[in-house]
Amino acid sequence: MNRSDWNDFKWRLIHAAPQPPSLHMAIDEVLTDEVAARRRPPTLRVWEWSSSCVVIGRFQSLRNEVDAEAAHRHGIEVVRRISGGGAMFIEPGNTITYSLYAPETLVAGMSFQESYEFMDAWVIDALQGLGINAWYQPLNDIASPAGKIAGAAQTRRGGAVLHHVTMAYDIDTTKMLDVLRIGREKLSDKATQSAAKRVDPLRSQTGLPRSDIIKKMIATFRRRHGLAPGKLEPAELERAVTLAESKFSSTAWTGIVP
Amino acid sequence: MHGEYKMPGGKLVVADFEVRDGKLTRVRISGDFFLEPDSALTMIDVALEGMPAAADSTHHAAVIQAALGPNVRMFGVSPEAIAVAVQRALEMPG
Repeated sequence: MNRSDWNDFKWRLIHAAPQPPSLHMAIDEVLTDEVAARRRPPTLRVWEWSSSCVVIGRFQSLRNEVDAEAAHRHGIEVVRRISGGGAMFIEPGNTITYSLYAPETLVAGMSFQESYEFMDAWVIDALQGLGINAWYQPLNDIASPAGKIAGAAQTRRGGAVLHHVTMAYDIDTTKMLDVLRIGREKLSDKATQSAAKRVDPLRSQTGLPRSDIIKKMIATFRRRHGLAPGKLEPAELERAVTLAESKFSSTAWTGIVP
Repeated sequence: MHGEYKMPGGKLVVADFEVRDGKLTRVRISGDFFLEPDSALTMIDVALEGMPAAADSTHHAAVIQAALGPNVRMFGVSPEAIAVAVQRALEMPG
């Protein structure tokens, strides 16, 4: 497979109004497949959430990761994404989430490790432009002096790579720890972190509203790689709505690893 | 039975199963690792199903490796790390 370059593509941006969790999961699957089929140019999608949720990774145990009773009590939906990695706790406005959909040629010949860092080089650039001394922390994190900023996950389907990332803007950890069961092993890895009430590395280190950080990120991507405005095509949205209902709202999928 | 193992430089691997007649059954491996293709997770569970609980982790790892073959790609997890999670579950009291 020959390697392609960021600038071999005409990148499109999708940044739509808030959408529900199951639809976000479905849009990721549909757009990855559309890019794989060469029906859609490579795309950067910035997510806006219409409701709170926990998103678990493809290989995580639903029961081990989520306290179902607490999630229900807080009105938090649980969805499973198509990529691996860890659980995310989402409330509208508490995170910045984005996806990149590209032909796999963009990361041809790279190890997984290299491809993760490569796909987020523009974000490190944007964060440094905002005055945050951010770096890539293997395997799949973006870190800063004030702690972990983001976790990335990838999956490959039919010749396309999906790379998506959730960044902590201002997270209420009391509620998060109520809903997520964070195992002893995992905590031992983070033993040096204090039990802070909020995890807000983006807010505290920039002093900027979330929307300004997103603007800076989009501008950085555009400067480095080019980026034209785009939108979800009606046929894509129709497929995603169907899939959100049939797959991503089903217990068969969410409980596929019980 | 339940065992967890954080692979050094990798991700968390969790093993849940029962032991019946000295063999692993209802095996479920999970964690925040990455596997391509995603169907490899079922292949791992199936490979461990019916394995003697008394087998050492080197043997469990070899069985997982053989079941996956050369086309499965793992990131943040390995057959050895999965075998350690299984071993830890077996060593847990109760």
